[in-house]
Amino acid sequence: MHAIIKKISKTLLTTSIGLLLSNGSFAEAEINAHQLFENNCASCHGSDHGGYLAPALNADTLKGRSPTALRTIIMAGSFDTLMPPFYNRLSDDEIRGLVKHLQTTPKLPNPAWTIEDMKKSLKVYVKDESTLPAKPTYTIDNMDNVIGVAARGKYGRGEGSKAVFINSTTHQKIGEILTGTAAHIIDYNPANPRWAYVKTDTAEIFKVDLYSMQAVRSIKTGYNGPGMGVSRNGKYIMAGSFVPHNAVILDADTLEPLKTFELEGIDPDGKMVSSDSGMIIGTPFDDIFAIALENAGQVWVVDLKEGFPVTKIEKVGRHLHDAFLSHGGQKLMIASYDDSIVAAIDLKERKIIKKLEAGCVPHVGGGSAVKVNGRTLGFGTNFGDCDKTVVSVWDLDKMEVVKQIPVSGGTESPAAHANAPYVAVDIISKDRRARTIQLIDKNSLEVVKTLDVGGHAYFPEYSADGKFLYVSAGYSGDEVVVYDSHSLAKVASVTMESPAGIFSHGRVRYMTRGLSPDEIEGAK
Amino acid sequence: MKAIVLTGLCLLGLSLQTSVFAASPYAGQARAAAVCSQCHGIRTPSAEAPFPSLAGQDQTYLETALKQYRDKTRKNDVMNAIAGSLSDTDIQSVASYYSKLKP
Repeated sequence: MHAIIKKISKTLLTTSIGLLLSNGSFAEAEINAHQLFENNCASCHGSDHGGYLAPALNADTLKGRSPTALRTIIMAGSFDTLMPPFYNRLSDDEIRGLVKHLQTTPKLPNPAWTIEDMKKSLKVYVKDESTLPAKPTYTIDNMDNVIGVAARGKYGRGEGSKAVFINSTTHQKIGEILTGTAAHIIDYNPANPRWAYVKTDTAEIFKVDLYSMQAVRSIKTGYNGPGMGVSRNGKYIMAGSFVPHNAVILDADTLEPLKTFELEGIDPDGKMVSSDSGMIIGTPFDDIFAIALENAGQVWVVDLKEGFPVTKIEKVGRHLHDAFLSHGGQKLMIASYDDSIVAAIDLKERKIIKKLEAGCVPHVGGGSAVKVNGRTLGFGTNFGDCDKTVVSVWDLDKMEVVKQIPVSGGTESPAAHANAPYVAVDIISKDRRARTIQLIDKNSLEVVKTLDVGGHAYFPEYSADGKFLYVSAGYSGDEVVVYDSHSLAKVASVTMESPAGIFSHGRVRYMTRGLSPDEIEGAK
Repeated sequence: MKAIVLTGLCLLGLSLQTSVFAASPYAGQARAAAVCSQCHGIRTPSAEAPFPSLAGQDQTYLETALKQYRDKTRKNDVMNAIAGSLSDTDIQSVASYYSKLKP
């Protein structure tokens, strides 16, 4: 109760300071509204008002909308989405001011965030890393058993926003790293099991020491954007942003920025465009990064050598997004939203192998691939809510469609494991179906079971040993639910605010979920 | 383990009661998820939220408060509107659900 009173008085204080500052002057009030937008809305709706995880909020997109209706959404939140209620968190005057500001502000030009800005944002929390413990300060048999969950926090920021690490054999929390704004992606260093990297929706990257469960450094790489990859030798990180349209290569040890890239190019329709960063991936196949330029429809391959030269693969698809690896990391399967295909790219030849039919708005999440009867099968989710909702299965050796499995709704992320019988997909259609996960039998390639997880269930992930299936019950669930991967009995619940992506440390060994570690061995 | 037993008990309770006693913590959870959780959370509100926690609150207190909000003897625009949409059974179920949650 005390905490609540403290919060309210803090809000009151902020409000009264806000009122004092805005006193009379229109310009100051506008600045204030922009600050309110930055502090409360921008991490999801985009710092440039151009949209990100959530819709674009600007004069154009909100034209003709009733200010009262917009005020209601801000006050009460929007059910079945991540939009929280701001009633009592923002004052009525602030909410009115915001609505006015949003309805009169155009989408902003690409704001600058230069390599100098990045350098200035570098924070060091542990100066001398030799003072860190030499092994984990908690009991764990194998660091592969660590599972990280990106907890967004109800408001996408504040005390609820953190990376939560769990021992996936005991299902107990082993540590939490506060991230300030919503954690989105967690990657692990393939060369040293102690380091994890957490990227937030406001494009900060935290270097985390998993042995002592603390952040040792952080850097802000942009305004918004989750794209991040770690090189196979563990020496480099590449990060890309939605706002602004750039990417950067960092030293994975110090997080110091080494080189930035302006993301622009000629799209498949011949138009020169500035582009958001989509997925970024390091591969066990080579010392390279692959990055998707969403709007330009290009995949760039960056060589990790002097000058970081770029090979551009053009005309991959319209609005690229996420991807997964196969064949020792030589083949990259990348989703293209607007032409309903997944493009297969050969990272050795650096060209497109084939474009495979996917489904309605393919979103492969982390992707999944499993070996069944000698064939390597890839699984692709599709998050469009169309008449026909399917999960595509491709033969990744022959690069052809094997089957399109009907599922009950749009899907966002598949999970598989060499030792688990089912491929799990999250149904995200915005009604009761959003509570569920469907399980596809690896052999029959049919949905054999639907789990009612609760909340908005998404981002399934298997523990490194394949014995357990972790699922985020997401917003309005506020827990991660753990199932036995064979019996599908619920075995544990780990509570946290608005959990989203789940990332097993085992991924550094099996590359793509569902493959066995031998896949990587084969690449070396 | 406890959660499984609890869920089991709830389900058992539900199957025994069916329509005799319509109010149940299980129905309450569904109602809470649909109506209350946006602000108060399905377990507890966000660490950042300016809303009171309902977990472990006295059941009678919750029922009384909701009924007062519903008939507007207790005034709050948002709560008056929300409680106005709840039936007696809803109120009992929701109060029963939150009162049984561990804070």
